[in-house]
Amino acid sequence: MLSIIAKDIHVEFPIYDPRMRSLKYSLGIKHLAKGISRIATRNLNVGGQIGAGETGRIVVKALDGVSFEILEGDRVGLVGHNGSGKTTLLRTLAGIYEPVGGAIQANGRVFPLFDLQLGMDPDATGIENIWMRGKMLSLTTKEIKDALDDIADFTELGDYLYMPIRAYSTGMALRLAFAISTAVVPEILVLDEMIGAGDAAFLSRADARLKTFLSRAGILVIASHSMPILRQWCNKGLLLEQGKMVAYGPLEQIVSLYQSKVATGQG
Amino acid sequence: MAAIRPHLRLPWRLAKQPANSRMGSRRFRMLALTSTQLSSAVDDLRTGLSSWRLSHFLAWQDVKQRYRRSTLGPIWMTLSFGIQIFTMGFLSAFLFGSELAKSFPYVCAGMLLWALITQTINDGAGLFVASARYITQIKCPLTVFLLQTLWRNLIIAGHNLAIYVAIALYFVVVPSPSMVLWPLGLLLVVLCLSWIALVAAVISARYRDVPLMITNIITVLFWVTPLMYFPEQLGQKRFIADYNPFTHMIALVREPLLGGAPTLNDWLVVLTLTVVGWTGTFLFFARFRSRIVYWL
Repeated sequence: MLSIIAKDIHVEFPIYDPRMRSLKYSLGIKHLAKGISRIATRNLNVGGQIGAGETGRIVVKALDGVSFEILEGDRVGLVGHNGSGKTTLLRTLAGIYEPVGGAIQANGRVFPLFDLQLGMDPDATGIENIWMRGKMLSLTTKEIKDALDDIADFTELGDYLYMPIRAYSTGMALRLAFAISTAVVPEILVLDEMIGAGDAAFLSRADARLKTFLSRAGILVIASHSMPILRQWCNKGLLLEQGKMVAYGPLEQIVSLYQSKVATGQG
Repeated sequence: MAAIRPHLRLPWRLAKQPANSRMGSRRFRMLALTSTQLSSAVDDLRTGLSSWRLSHFLAWQDVKQRYRRSTLGPIWMTLSFGIQIFTMGFLSAFLFGSELAKSFPYVCAGMLLWALITQTINDGAGLFVASARYITQIKCPLTVFLLQTLWRNLIIAGHNLAIYVAIALYFVVVPSPSMVLWPLGLLLVVLCLSWIALVAAVISARYRDVPLMITNIITVLFWVTPLMYFPEQLGQKRFIADYNPFTHMIALVREPLLGGAPTLNDWLVVLTLTVVGWTGTFLFFARFRSRIVYWL
């Protein structure tokens, strides 16, 4: 049974200005940091709250006590303003950020797709890039081997696969990245904005592939500003505001709550 | 956000604050280690080591990438190392009055190790910063990137080994049974290097001055490490070489390559350094591992 259970998670980003980053500063001139950290936590319209962290450093509280349970079959859409903590939450789900407080447990292999072209090298050939990208997605050698034909078929790149992808058009490179990323069946799929690829002629096939890919995922968590996309893919919604979870429930309810907040200029 | 708050307009005034009693507990918290931190550090090392294939793959990609679109490719590495050795071999013979047949293999074997050691430490310092894109986008044991650096530098040293073989053949370095010791020496050196690189990597992720500092220290260390000269040639000042751990690390591989054997002292120094170093590094790594991604 796949699931994600988050209990009261807190994620804080320490803020270092260039001076604070240097060793000299840390050894000697600490008072400025201490001084600023005394600023009381203030509420801002956008972004997480700025305040003093546990060690007295200035921090942005990106996630502030978020708890939820996501179960197998759930399709969760994250909504909220810029800086409300959507991306941070996704990365915490993916295990990239370890929360400073609380606990998060993902039962199942988390498959984060944030940057489709991560691990791709313009000077390497298409085939080499399939390997690199595949390894980056922590696919096994066998999984990549099995996917090779499928990727070649889908991208229709033909002999271009033996050329460095520097020679590709942007669309071709994206097509390849998209094909590799969607070549497996993910257990817990985590997306920051909807992925997609290609030109008009390619679009319908990409759509079909995307549909299978998304529907085969055990759990889908996606952050998006586009309500139509969320309505198409999600059945649940999670509304974040300044790093706090405001509501979690059926998608329609969450969307209307969010839209009413936007309309009244709150949140 | 409104105008800048009055007490922030003059930042230096913030210095005048009552001494803060929290300081003590804060220091303490810096050192506190939980069992979760220890076990996830073990986990990181374990999964990192077991996915050595990924490190291996990334290391080779690095090597390949560096030489794409160049005709000679990786031979450039070997070539520039060869030229360096050629110059240094002569210089060493002239400056320090040793025979060419002795100084050439000596300089070459020493520099082979020196290049490996210093490049690994330098790369180590830039390790997490260079891989920041990966670290912030996918969950991956940090050990993978450490292994990638080690492996990449070993691959490069492997290329340079060709120069040593050529020199050894030309100057007829007589093989001896002690030559079988060099892989063992190399293994120990790499183990020792790995913790140095890891510590450098963690500190450099937080403090961006450190890589520059390390580069400078290494430049100085070059002169006090017997690479171009023999330790005996230091005469009264021999302690300079003896107290330098790098002397012993280099001797562990260089001596067997030259047909001699490293002293027991060499083995003990590097072994102690490895054990003590890794113990400290492990605790250090366990404490700060989860913070690294926030520093990038």
